[in-house]
Amino acid sequence: MSDSTIQHHEESRDVTFRVHRFNPQVDSKPYFDDYTIKLEKGITVLRALNYIKEHVDSTLTFRAFCQAGICGSCAMRINNMSKLACTTQVWDELDKAREPGVIKIEPLRNLPHIKDLVVEMDPVVGKMKKYSNWVDSRMPEEQWGKKEFLVSEEEFQIYDKATDCILCASCVSECTILRAHKEYVSPVVLLRSYRMNADSRDGIHDQRLAGLVQDHGVWDCTHCYRCQETCVKNIPIMDAIHGIREDAIERRGTKDTSGARHAEAFMDDIEKKGRLVEATLPIRTNGLAWTLKNLLPMAVKMIIKRRTPPPPPLVKASKGIQSLRKEMKEMASHVTKDHEKKSGE
Amino acid sequence: MKRYAYYQSCINEAMTKEVDRSIDLWQHDLGIELVKLHESVCCGGSNLDYVSPKQFALVNARNIALAEKQGLDLIVSCNTCLMTIRTAKKKLDESPALRAEVNEILREEGLEYRGTSEVRHLLWVLIDDVGLDVIRKKVKNPLSKLRIAPFYGCHILRPSTVLGKDNPLEPTSLDMLLDALGARSIPYEHKNRCCGFHTLLVAEEESLNVAAEALKEAMDEKADFIVTPCPLCHTVLDGYQAKALKHNGIKGSIPVYHLSEVVGLALGYSERQLGIKRHIVTV
Repeated sequence: MSDSTIQHHEESRDVTFRVHRFNPQVDSKPYFDDYTIKLEKGITVLRALNYIKEHVDSTLTFRAFCQAGICGSCAMRINNMSKLACTTQVWDELDKAREPGVIKIEPLRNLPHIKDLVVEMDPVVGKMKKYSNWVDSRMPEEQWGKKEFLVSEEEFQIYDKATDCILCASCVSECTILRAHKEYVSPVVLLRSYRMNADSRDGIHDQRLAGLVQDHGVWDCTHCYRCQETCVKNIPIMDAIHGIREDAIERRGTKDTSGARHAEAFMDDIEKKGRLVEATLPIRTNGLAWTLKNLLPMAVKMIIKRRTPPPPPLVKASKGIQSLRKEMKEMASHVTKDHEKKSGE
Repeated sequence: MKRYAYYQSCINEAMTKEVDRSIDLWQHDLGIELVKLHESVCCGGSNLDYVSPKQFALVNARNIALAEKQGLDLIVSCNTCLMTIRTAKKKLDESPALRAEVNEILREEGLEYRGTSEVRHLLWVLIDDVGLDVIRKKVKNPLSKLRIAPFYGCHILRPSTVLGKDNPLEPTSLDMLLDALGARSIPYEHKNRCCGFHTLLVAEEESLNVAAEALKEAMDEKADFIVTPCPLCHTVLDGYQAKALKHNGIKGSIPVYHLSEVVGLALGYSERQLGIKRHIVTV
């Protein structure tokens, strides 16, 4: 990026916006329109789109409201990345353009398309409802309005960053698993679920967590970090996802879901051998029947190519495993003490 | 000969043995020596960090401390091991309390995490330490007739706060290396996307869909093969290829090579020597 920043030092220039167009009432398929306008340095993508709508093509449709990065309405894909049009500088995007002077504008992905740059947000709202993305007060109703609910500074720190979310759905648009399966909970709903579950005023933690560990829930995240990388508020979304997993293991154990069993296998192997015992990982995660049904044909191919992982007795423990085991045990006792301290507070 | 500590990734010990085998063939040709860390242990594979954050910090502090004891940087050839160990390093470097707690335990083994060794991917060593000009001069078999689809994989790019070598939106390091080896890397959207590995056993259908989309784009772009710096990506894109394509009704196949094998081919080693015949999808 740095070498090309020198290229666009002009104070004003012609810029082409290559905009995704689609009106389902008249168009059989989407297409791109090029709008070339002369712009001054310092202008945002949203202002440029507003200019096009006012002076060039009034049929161009997009959502926008606050123009200050607060409402989250104007999220769209700009040069192949989901972000807010109102906080994105045209000159910064010129540096990233694949075709010189051309900025590509598309609607968010992974959501139903309505028209031009507008997508349907109902699936996100529906999932927020499904996973109870609000604080369900544990205070008895008769006390409402009469008693204060205090939140400590320390507690607020846990979900401070998560409260920055403006529901722009950029993370939804870039999510790998949502692209592969539309039922997936989605990053934004995981973030908000984490935030609600960490709130001491909430009374449905266990119920929400029970929903999150079901199919298409927290264990289906593939750790690609695209959500975190795209977040317009720089929220560490993966920390929230890992936070839910940590909570699930702590409160529900490691036996109830394939995700938790899979994670536990890593811990077990490190403690026993210092190495992963890959041969039995599918069985420990999903059981023997699943493994035979799903992996047997592939196992045959792998045996022919001598690619099968060695059976457990042949996995040699790491050198110095005795020391490691002792150290792991000692750290486990620290963790137990931490938990005792936490529950005593 | 510049020396490095080499982290032994579980998958390269068990399933993708051709990675270490090919690196062993050419490391001295490029003036580097990778000293295998036999005491290193599984990094937790992007799982241990939420099962037990403190034990996660401990095992990876120990992995890095083993390299520090020899005064060497720790070199990794699996993306997820790279991201995982670097994540632990970041946590340790940012928290004196965690460092002290971990070091108190490691002291019994004569180890101490000090934060003096860098944790780097082999690809970065080739570019930053060996240098593209040197590599270009060592090429005996330029891969000039080949159109290669570079597949970076997630954990060499994201999170950028932990990795930071490439721009995750427009990564260039692997493309630059392929260029030095004489090959043409094709531009395609999936080069910085995900392979689906980490959900293979938990949400298999989703993983197969993710992999199939990447494979299809490389095939549509008429690439001769895909190359990846990550043995986990390789396992999905090669090992699960037939299943992923069948599940998505896509015909065809495409070979997938490891970074270490492509370097080996350009330096004049044969497919047999490099272990390419061990792949599930062969030409």
